[in-house]
Amino acid sequence: MSATTTPVPTHRDRKQPGKQPTRVRSSFVERVAPYAYVAPFFIIFGIFGLFPLVFTFFVALFDWNPIGAHTFVGLANFERLLHDSRFWNALGNTFGIFVISTIPQLLLALGLAQLLNNARLRWATFFRMSMLLPFITSVAATALIFGQIFDRNFGLINWILGLLNLDPINFLASRLGSWVEISAMVTWRWFGYNTLLYLAGLQAIPRQMYEAASVDGASGWQQFTRLTIPSLRPVIIFTVIMSTIGGLQIFTEPLLVSPESGLTCGAGRQCQTLALFLYEQGFGQFSFGYGSAIGVALFVIVVVAALINFFLITRTQGAR
Amino acid sequence: MIVSSTAAVVALALGLVSGCTSSGGSGGSSASSGDANAQFTFWSFTGIGAKASVAEYLVKNPHAHVKLSEVGSTTETATALTAALAGGVVPDLVMIQGDDLPKFVENPSNFVDLRTLGGNDLASKYLGWAAGAATGTNGSIIGVPTDVGGLGLAYRADLFKAAGLPTDPAEVAKMWSTWDGFIAMGKKYTAATGKPFVDNVETSVFFSTVNQVTEKYYSPDGKLVYDTNPQVKNAFDVAVKTYEAGISANIAAWSSGWDPGKAKGTFAVTVAPSWLLSGIKSAAPATAGKWRVTTLPGVGGNWGGSVIAIPARAAHPKAAWEYIKTMTSAAAQTEHFKRTGTLPAAKDSLKSDAVLSYTDKFFGDSPIGKVLSDSVLRFNSFYNGPDTSAIGAGLLNALASMQTGDVAPADAWQTGLKNVKDALG
Repeated sequence: MSATTTPVPTHRDRKQPGKQPTRVRSSFVERVAPYAYVAPFFIIFGIFGLFPLVFTFFVALFDWNPIGAHTFVGLANFERLLHDSRFWNALGNTFGIFVISTIPQLLLALGLAQLLNNARLRWATFFRMSMLLPFITSVAATALIFGQIFDRNFGLINWILGLLNLDPINFLASRLGSWVEISAMVTWRWFGYNTLLYLAGLQAIPRQMYEAASVDGASGWQQFTRLTIPSLRPVIIFTVIMSTIGGLQIFTEPLLVSPESGLTCGAGRQCQTLALFLYEQGFGQFSFGYGSAIGVALFVIVVVAALINFFLITRTQGAR
Repeated sequence: MIVSSTAAVVALALGLVSGCTSSGGSGGSSASSGDANAQFTFWSFTGIGAKASVAEYLVKNPHAHVKLSEVGSTTETATALTAALAGGVVPDLVMIQGDDLPKFVENPSNFVDLRTLGGNDLASKYLGWAAGAATGTNGSIIGVPTDVGGLGLAYRADLFKAAGLPTDPAEVAKMWSTWDGFIAMGKKYTAATGKPFVDNVETSVFFSTVNQVTEKYYSPDGKLVYDTNPQVKNAFDVAVKTYEAGISANIAAWSSGWDPGKAKGTFAVTVAPSWLLSGIKSAAPATAGKWRVTTLPGVGGNWGGSVIAIPARAAHPKAAWEYIKTMTSAAAQTEHFKRTGTLPAAKDSLKSDAVLSYTDKFFGDSPIGKVLSDSVLRFNSFYNGPDTSAIGAGLLNALASMQTGDVAPADAWQTGLKNVKDALG
């Protein structure tokens, strides 16, 4: 039996009963319309996003002084970058801060989302809204306040340690200490956002699945690992990739947390991330070429990290 | 309701229009660029009394029109100036602080050579090293020095008395006339009171010692000598010795512990250029009358200072030059000093009574004006190359790392050299 398509009557047909619905011949305007709708974004993206990106690759091949000479040097900037211990130091700092700020934060967000998902939780709306408050706080204010809290001489944490008769910790002086301080800021800022994303994901899981699992004799932990996590996979992938991209580009917190060490974030560059190193070279030292080379390196690193993340997470799906 | 397709075309047009950057036309003043009274734009950083300066200028020249923008901190102003020079709208007049100056002097074509406006002996009125810092290698003078920082040391007379040290500024200056004497004094203080003597070694010691040399990081013909110059190493070693003597509080300047330290007497001695004196007053108001200012160990010193410059593409260079001519004369700088306490850069102004007799009750009867004026008049001139600030920062960072305990004092010099090598590429 062949399938015949019968034209579905539209409102136009009711207006003119008896007339066959005609195949609408698209006018020029109607064909162009979809592109016109999306064009504003792409034009602005082209000017402020794509062009600077491509231009950065171009400038990285030069020794470019913004108010002086521009000399073509080919790949010399990249060669210098590979041998520059400050670059590897910044890379190590970036990954260290990324790991400490992302992994505990996402686990915390998952746990909190599970708690907030409880139907019997009182004042649920209040908790959900107040979780977003750190996210909308100015980064500069956050950096200043956390700088005060972690301060060696008069900070809140060292004061508490003093009350317990413990030695004060100079967070910014040590590598790990400064990483912890920056990661605390980043975690404080983003955990609410990620919690709400996971919460949305959790609420999309039908309650009958949990009931069926209980009936089948699954314990709470088994339900969590075999039911909740797989159902949350798309959200988890999203948050991990977004955290990776953001975490590898942390800039404002290291810049503002210790104003007296300028753009190096500590005299020994203990917490200087790649983005801050880029800014120091480009705008501190007026070496736009070298700064652009760092930018290109950062771009490559972020793309590679995001791809690794993506493949790791989607590969585990194959086990199903 | 289906949005009509023509609305989409309108949206596209709006997007195009909003996406286009409008080229900023320069100020629509009808006066020609040669008019001395044309309205001109003036970018300054905060904290230098620019508003007071402009007010003084308008009193002297009532027909002038000045549009002043206090852009922000010295670094923010320098960044804004860089962006403007690289391809934006430049101001007609701009203040550049001493730390940011080398990068601009490297490319003198970005500024008007002020010799074309003021003649070849323009620089002779000012301190040689200050004018030299604003002179390019091709001899082009890109800026006129407006002020200098000077350098002295401020100390708490009451804490010195409690430790059995002299309190009169002249006696203290005599006791620490050499840096070894300074360290010995510090050891005596710390032994008597158990508290640190000086706030830190990188800004209060090294910064002074490294600027008291006759040859710094470059030889007079422009070769890099920072690693072989014994004067630089000696200056560095004095700082390391001070740290090893255990008399430093290891509180970096502008760190969170610095201002409270001044108020609580955590340390007794801190560095005192002219522009930090008001900072001591605001950080420690309860200690009024207890501080004194005197000359540093060694000979001469300076920290800070600024120049005023006219960018090359300025629309109203003549009007800007009128301002410079009027406000940077020795008399005008003396008058400005009387109003705001900014130490002048003109030699005659530094020797004037107004500056030499300056004292402040907050600092007891210390001869502040004389101390600061002496420090800059006896300051050595040495050749500063393009990477001077990067080299200085590398060595300073090594000392800061030493004070936080990350680097052993014996390794500090090697760490400093490594920092500099990394920075220079």
